[in-house]
Amino acid sequence: MKINTFGDHIQTYKIYLRMIQVIDHFLQENGYLKLDLPVLSPSLIPENYLEVFKTEFQYHHTKEPLFLTPSPELFIKRLLFEGIGDCYSMGKSFRNSEPNSPKHQTEFTMLEWYKVGKDYKFMAQEALRLLSAISNELVGKNSISYFGKNVSFDTWEEMTVAESFETYANISSEELFEPKKFCAKAKEKGYVTDGFSYGDVWSQVYAQEIEHNLGTSGHPTILYDYPVQFAALSKPNPDGKTAQRFEFYIEGMELGNCFSELTDASLQKKRFAAEDEERRISGKIEHPVDWGFIEILEKGFPESTGIAIGVERLGMIFTNSKHIEDLKLLSIG
Amino acid sequence: MASQAGSLKRGEFIKYLGEIWQVQKTEFYSPGKGSALMRTKLKNVTSGKTIDYNFKSNESVDTVEVNSIEMQYLYKDAENAYFMDNQSYQQYEVLLSVIGNVIDYFKEGELMYVYVHNEKTLNIRPPVSVTLKVVQTEDAARGDTVSGAKKEAELETGAKVMVPLFIKNGETIMVNPETGDYTGRAS
Repeated sequence: MKINTFGDHIQTYKIYLRMIQVIDHFLQENGYLKLDLPVLSPSLIPENYLEVFKTEFQYHHTKEPLFLTPSPELFIKRLLFEGIGDCYSMGKSFRNSEPNSPKHQTEFTMLEWYKVGKDYKFMAQEALRLLSAISNELVGKNSISYFGKNVSFDTWEEMTVAESFETYANISSEELFEPKKFCAKAKEKGYVTDGFSYGDVWSQVYAQEIEHNLGTSGHPTILYDYPVQFAALSKPNPDGKTAQRFEFYIEGMELGNCFSELTDASLQKKRFAAEDEERRISGKIEHPVDWGFIEILEKGFPESTGIAIGVERLGMIFTNSKHIEDLKLLSIG
Repeated sequence: MASQAGSLKRGEFIKYLGEIWQVQKTEFYSPGKGSALMRTKLKNVTSGKTIDYNFKSNESVDTVEVNSIEMQYLYKDAENAYFMDNQSYQQYEVLLSVIGNVIDYFKEGELMYVYVHNEKTLNIRPPVSVTLKVVQTEDAARGDTVSGAKKEAELETGAKVMVPLFIKNGETIMVNPETGDYTGRAS
């Protein structure tokens, strides 16, 4: 790996900076407090699908592992518990074992904002308002052109996960929510399923048949109500099968992820234990689990909703870029 | 030979759906639910057709062992390019739809490596650089000294490339056949 510089990206970078200014302004105008957070932590929320960076604090004979946070959530939730109210952070997050690609960087900017007392459906409207604000500020109207395709921010195209599988993959709701039936249907379609989990096969079918269709009909698409297995930190719906989670897409690219936050401590504890075990089984880097997070839930956590957005990816949409490095002056890789 | 999809590289040959494909592009992708995926663009070596397929990154994929044999490019017709193994004098053909646009930069007689598996040719391994003569280009007008400005040049194979303004008719230049980019004057 080496340090790469892109001085010729300066014009695109300046547009990206303006977008960041609009985000700061929008959130602060709407009453969200900007948070300055650490990037190092002694413990983490266990998430099986990602890998972390481990480093070490050393002082004389003291050595203690520290980890670069893959998201600021564990810090923000502590502050929400303290009664900080509506807040946001826009800072660096780190994900190991993920090679750089047109839409990925090991170190990237995560925007996370939380609204107390509201759920994911509220946050959907708030997110759309942010996209409108950026569009109006950068191009003077409520729509943009991304590689010749018009994208209007006047409304979402709304779709449940179940609807998307029926429409694009010809998989019924009954098959979708039943892991054995889902894997059997995937195997019929030619996917390799033996030795892989429901989540693994689901992700593959989703990436292959569904994702590239989302956000391609003139509006951003909001895809909501995920199978409950894929939303470890979100509140389940009363149907017991789906979780209060959405993702949003523009021209096939995932930009953001939102939940109604789970406040049930015992359920969260079970999920933490399961994720930690999965990490151990798949040979991932061990880290202390943030049980302090569970303690907060046990003491009583406010009902809230949070959304996480990849700022560079959002920048790609608003700068008409195909590669994440197009809006950067530096990268490592 | 079994390999993990997550370690596939561009240019490798794999078996998929009972046929042989060459990996054109790979992109790692972490969807945030389930394991990581490897997006690939695959080109079928029998038909030239390309598809996009997302493998799970720890899915097992059969890679195909190939021999690289140095051959001489003879000529092409509407469908194929023809090569000769200078050791055995055996002739081979490769579909133009599999080779792609790189063929536009090859002079007859050019030497290059051809990937062969079980006596069947799969694709060529394009040389990193080819040397070609400019047969048609405009003289740059005096004063055109803006750095980075380029003009079109037609090469002896009929291919057209963008070259710096100082390149003249009759000059020999180096071109990357995979990108069609001018890479320098031939010494």
